[in-house]
Parts: sequence; structure tokens; C-alpha cells
Amino acid sequence: MSAVIEIEGLRKTFHSMRNGRRVAVDGFDLLVEEGQVHGFLGPNGSGKTTTLRALLGLVRADSGRMSVLGQPSPELLPRVAGQVGAIVESPQFFGNFTGYRTLRLLARAGGVPVSRVDEALDLVGLRDRGDERVKAYSLGMKQRLAVASALLKDPRLLILDEPANGLDPAGIREMRDLMRSLAATGVTVLVSSHILGEIQLICDHVTIISQGRRVASGRVDEVLAGYDRHEFLVRVADPQRAAELLDAAELTAVVDGEALVVSGASDPTVISRVLGEQGLWVGELTPLRPDLESVFLELTGAHPSVPRQVDDSALPYAAQGDAVIDLDRGVDA
Amino acid sequence: MNLVRAELERLAARRFVQLMVVLLAFAFAVTAATTLAGSHKPSASELNSARQQATEARQSMETAFQECVARRDGAQPTEDGGSFLPDDCSQIDPVLQDRLPIAADFLPGVFSFAQQARPLLFFLIAFLVLFGFLVGASYIGADLNSGGVVNLLLWRPRRLTVLATKLGTLLGTVLVLALLASVAYLATFWVIGQTAGLAGQLSGEFWRELGAVHGRGLVLVLLATAVGFAIATLGRHTSAALGALAAYVVVWELGARLVLEIVDAPQSDLFMLTSHVGAWLNGEARFYDEQICRGGDIGFNCQGFYTLSWLPSLLVLLGITGGLTAAAFAVFRRRDLI
Ligand SMILES: Nc1ncnc2c1ncn2[C@@H]1O[C@H](COP(=O)(O)OP(=O)(O)O)[C@@H](O)[C@H]1O
Ligand SMILES: [Mg+2]
Repeated sequence: MSAVIEIEGLRKTFHSMRNGRRVAVDGFDLLVEEGQVHGFLGPNGSGKTTTLRALLGLVRADSGRMSVLGQPSPELLPRVAGQVGAIVESPQFFGNFTGYRTLRLLARAGGVPVSRVDEALDLVGLRDRGDERVKAYSLGMKQRLAVASALLKDPRLLILDEPANGLDPAGIREMRDLMRSLAATGVTVLVSSHILGEIQLICDHVTIISQGRRVASGRVDEVLAGYDRHEFLVRVADPQRAAELLDAAELTAVVDGEALVVSGASDPTVISRVLGEQGLWVGELTPLRPDLESVFLELTGAHPSVPRQVDDSALPYAAQGDAVIDLDRGVDA
Repeated sequence: MNLVRAELERLAARRFVQLMVVLLAFAFAVTAATTLAGSHKPSASELNSARQQATEARQSMETAFQECVARRDGAQPTEDGGSFLPDDCSQIDPVLQDRLPIAADFLPGVFSFAQQARPLLFFLIAFLVLFGFLVGASYIGADLNSGGVVNLLLWRPRRLTVLATKLGTLLGTVLVLALLASVAYLATFWVIGQTAGLAGQLSGEFWRELGAVHGRGLVLVLLATAVGFAIATLGRHTSAALGALAAYVVVWELGARLVLEIVDAPQSDLFMLTSHVGAWLNGEARFYDEQICRGGDIGFNCQGFYTLSWLPSLLVLLGITGGLTAAAFAVFRRRDLI
């Protein structure tokens, strides 16, 4: 499999008079291979948009090496720009133009046949609204138009920055279906989001960023597996007694109201055997799989009960353990 | 080529550009209509009387000059004393005058194209210069702000090409508009002159001079357009260009001029862009500086004037425009586009 996007050690510092220096991206790495639907996950302000801007030559990186479709970026980006459809942070369009005219202008500027415009509008569900002015569009419709502009080129690589922004639930589902069907035709997709559910539903790979650094990356199921503590939720008639029995069997059991959370069991049959042998019949036995959300919250240091400030997220694993969990490559320092 | 077509379409769709074109057409229509309403074709008797008056005026100038010469040569003054006559007779020598009275001067309420074409053209050029500056600034300013440039760069990640195409399209469009507007404008007033005014003497010399002013005016319009574009690019905003213009006028043309006068700086007009604009448009400009006459034995004839000719002025204007444009491209090439 060939790399479609490679980023190594990307750094970008913004300087402003009022706020001084702000490190937006701090030695970030990203690898997206052909055919992936790659989720780019991170809380607000973690550097996703800045990374994509640097990759697409819109901001100038301080240091780092990047390439897109095998061409070093931004130097040789023009060579492959025709194959890369991208939206970066809800793009704005000229309000007086209709959706159709907006796309036609872009198509013309990029040397794409104008017949593509109708196809792209159709793909994003704007076919019947193409001749309305953009300023009369809703936020979601503008977002769809943006995606249509990225699809106009019939791209090999699609980069979407928070495409679900402003979409209603039905729109989010349509966007998801669209991405799936594009992926099925072999398009590589990089989609950034702060909404975990989205990524988990459509992506096969994920890279998690926090404070400008990569904190996890790999196949979605493997990233999750890395955080699986093999816990099970158990419901029995007498949780207290069950806990004692399980403790005696060298398993850790914590009573949680009516139920038990058991950890340390490699196999759930061990739990039902230990309890069953003592006449305690298991009413429910559910593996507690981590979802991306909990992994994400753990990695990015957010705690549900404390209002987290955009900048104060920590790098719990990377910073404390000084290691990045990368399931494709093992643990690197 | 495709990029140019796309830019043309964007430019034409800009509300501001449309507004300015409408304004131009409106100002044009009002000027033409009032001129038309205030002018009539002179009757044969009016014409005759005007010609007679002009002839008389020229004759009285000649007479005065002759008297002046005669007095200088020692002859007796005529009965009314000749007290109006200057010491230096060359001042009233008809041959040395810029222009002599002609019939058109004695035809009130009659539009004369030959006499009015130049000031009318200056007015149009002033409007077009402002038009070019504002359109140039707003075109790139709005595009930088609305993310249009970013969208375009995602399609064509060559910044210099994109910016140069924008500037080129802009200059081309402004030039064509200015040409069309000025030709239509002059043609309309010519027709008014022919049908409802004094046809006048339109010699080859007249057309050559008018053509020269026209050509220089168009160059000025293009320079103003490029300057507006460059400043708005540098400041990322349309208002940067407007602010720079206002600041320049207040701080430099008014403020610094005053200071330079107070400290008696020699030939201070040379530091003002308006002087160079005037010199370029008119072919030359004359300024007064009394210090020229202080240098001792220059003689009684020192009048304290110095001249600025068009070539150095053109170089100054080109240098400033070129410098600003080059700076805009250099900055745009490296800038973070958010
Ligand atoms: N133009 C800018 N000037 C200064 N700081 C910026 C600029 N753009 C982004 N930042 C800062 O960089 C960090 C990352 O921003 P961004 O990449 O937009 O995050 P994300 O897209 O992940 O929400 C934030 O702290 C943000 O405040
Ligand atoms: Mg963002």
C-alpha cells in the first residue's frame, strides 16, 4: 500500500501582536495510505485545521516534511492538485452567485469539464437548489456545497475538515453514506472531526491529535483494543456475595449498584463458571468495550465533570509516559 | 486562459463594480443632459456678432500693445494716459499670449466642443482614476476576506499565478472600460457640439493634443488601479487601500506640505504625488518657489517658477506603483492564508 499523505515532524507557530507566540502544531506525524477512510480526531484547537492548511500550502510550516500523493508539499503540490479535493474549515463562497455558478467558476479555473458540476451537486443532494443564491443557503447547504466543490475534481484523495458542521442528523447520515460510497470506489478519504461517533462509524483508521501532537494512531479497532481492559458488566441476584467469590478466584470485582464490574478475566466463561458453581446464576454478562469516545477523552485529558478549556488538555500518555501508542508500529519513544 | 475567464466572471459579478459602472453612466448622463439643455445652436446673427466682438477684442489688444511699445520708445501717451499699460510690453504682446479671444468666447449659452473637451476629459479621467483605485482595492480585498482566494488556491496552488491573473484581468478590464467610457463620452459631447452648439475649429493639432491627454489619462487610471490592488493585498483588506489613501492625503499632501512650507524647504512641490500626477497629465507643471530668486544676481526677470516635466513624473509614478506591486507579490507569496 502506498502512502497518500505523509507528514513528519510538522511544526507551526503563529505569531501575533496581541497573543504572542502560539504553537498550533508541535511535531505532528500523520500517515494515510491508499484506500483508507482515515479519521483525524482531536478536540477544538488541537491543530487539525492548521495541519490541513499546512499540508495544502495555505500556511507555511516552520519545519517538517509533508507529501501528498507522492509529491512533496507544498513545493510540488500543483502537480497533484487536480486529484485532491479538499475543504478546509467551512469554506466561504461569494453570496451573490448561485451554487451552480460557484462550482462552474471553480471547475473552469481548475480545468474540469463543466458537466461535472451537475454530478457534484447531485452527489451532495443540492441538485434542485443549484440555481439559488449561496447567501440564501442554510449552513448545512453551504457545507454541502463545499463538499460538492471538493468532489468536482473527481478526486483520488478527499480531504474534509469537519464536514458534519452545521448538518442536521439526516445530513450527517447522508454525508456518511456519501463517504462510504466514495471509499468503495477507491477514493482515499481523510476526514477531521471532533465528533467521535462519526469517526467510529465511517473510518477504518484514525489518528488522534491533542495539543498539536499525535497521541494515537492506527486501525480503529486496534486503537480501541489497546484500551480494552477486559472488563465485564455482570448482573446477579446477590452482587456482594458474587464479589467475594470472584475475589477468591483472583478476579477483581467492584460492586456498582445492582451490578458488578469485573476485570482481569481473559474469558467471560470463567466468570459464569465461578459464579454458577456456587449457585449464583448470571443474569447478564456484557463485555465493557471501550468506545472511541472514552479513549479519546482519556488521551486528550478531558474529564467530563470539569469544564475543560480549549488549551488545557494534557497529553496524558504521550507526555507522562513519553510514548506514543502507534498500533501500526508498536510503541515508539 | 480558463483562470482569466473565471476571474472576468467574478469581476463582472461584483456588486461594487456594477455600482461604480452605474455611477459612471449616471454622472455621464447628467453632464450630457445639462450641457444639452444649456446649449443651443447659435444663429447666424449671434455668430456674426460674436465674431465681430472677437475681432474687436483682438484689435484692442493689438492697439494696447502698440501704445505700450510707442510709450517705451518715447512717444507721448494718448489722451487717456495709458496708465493701464505695463512696463514690460511683452506681457501684453498678442503674439506671445497663450490664446487669443475667439468667437466662442462671446457666445454665452453655446457649448463649444473645441473649448470644453479638455476639461471634460480631465473630469472623466479623475472619475476613472478613483474608479480604478476603488475597484482594484475592493476586488482583491473582498476576495481575500471572503475566502475566495483560498478556494481558488485549493484548485490552483500557485500563488503568484493566481495573483498575477487577478491583477492582469483587473487591469485589462479597467482599461477596456475606461476606453469605452471615454470614447463614448467624447463622442457624445462632440455630437452635442455639432448639433446643439458651436462646431468650432477641430484641427489635427487639437485632436493630437486631446489624444495625448487621453492616453496619459488612461496610463494614470491603470497606475491607480494597480496601486489600489497592491495596497489592499498588502493590508489584506479593501479598507487598507482607502485608509492609506486618506492617510496619505491628510498626512502628506496637507500636513507635510504645510511643514515644508514653514521650514522653507526648497521646491517642496516636488515631494507631492499630486504634482507628479499633474505634470504627467499636462505634459508639465509649473510651481512657484520664491527662493529661486534669492540666489543673488539672477536678475530682475526672475519670476520664481520652476518646471516639472512629464518624464521624471512618470518615472516617479511608475516607481511607486512598481514598488508597491512588487511588495504585494512578495508578501503574498509567503503569507499564511487563513
Ligand atoms: N491564524 C491564527 N493565528 C493565531 N493562532 C491560531 C491561528 N489559527 C489557529 N491558531 C491557533 O492554533 C491552534 C490550533 O487551531 P486549529 O488548527 O484551528 O484547531 P482545530 O482545527 O483542531 O480546532 C489553536 O490554539 C488556535 O487558537
Ligand atoms: Mg478546525
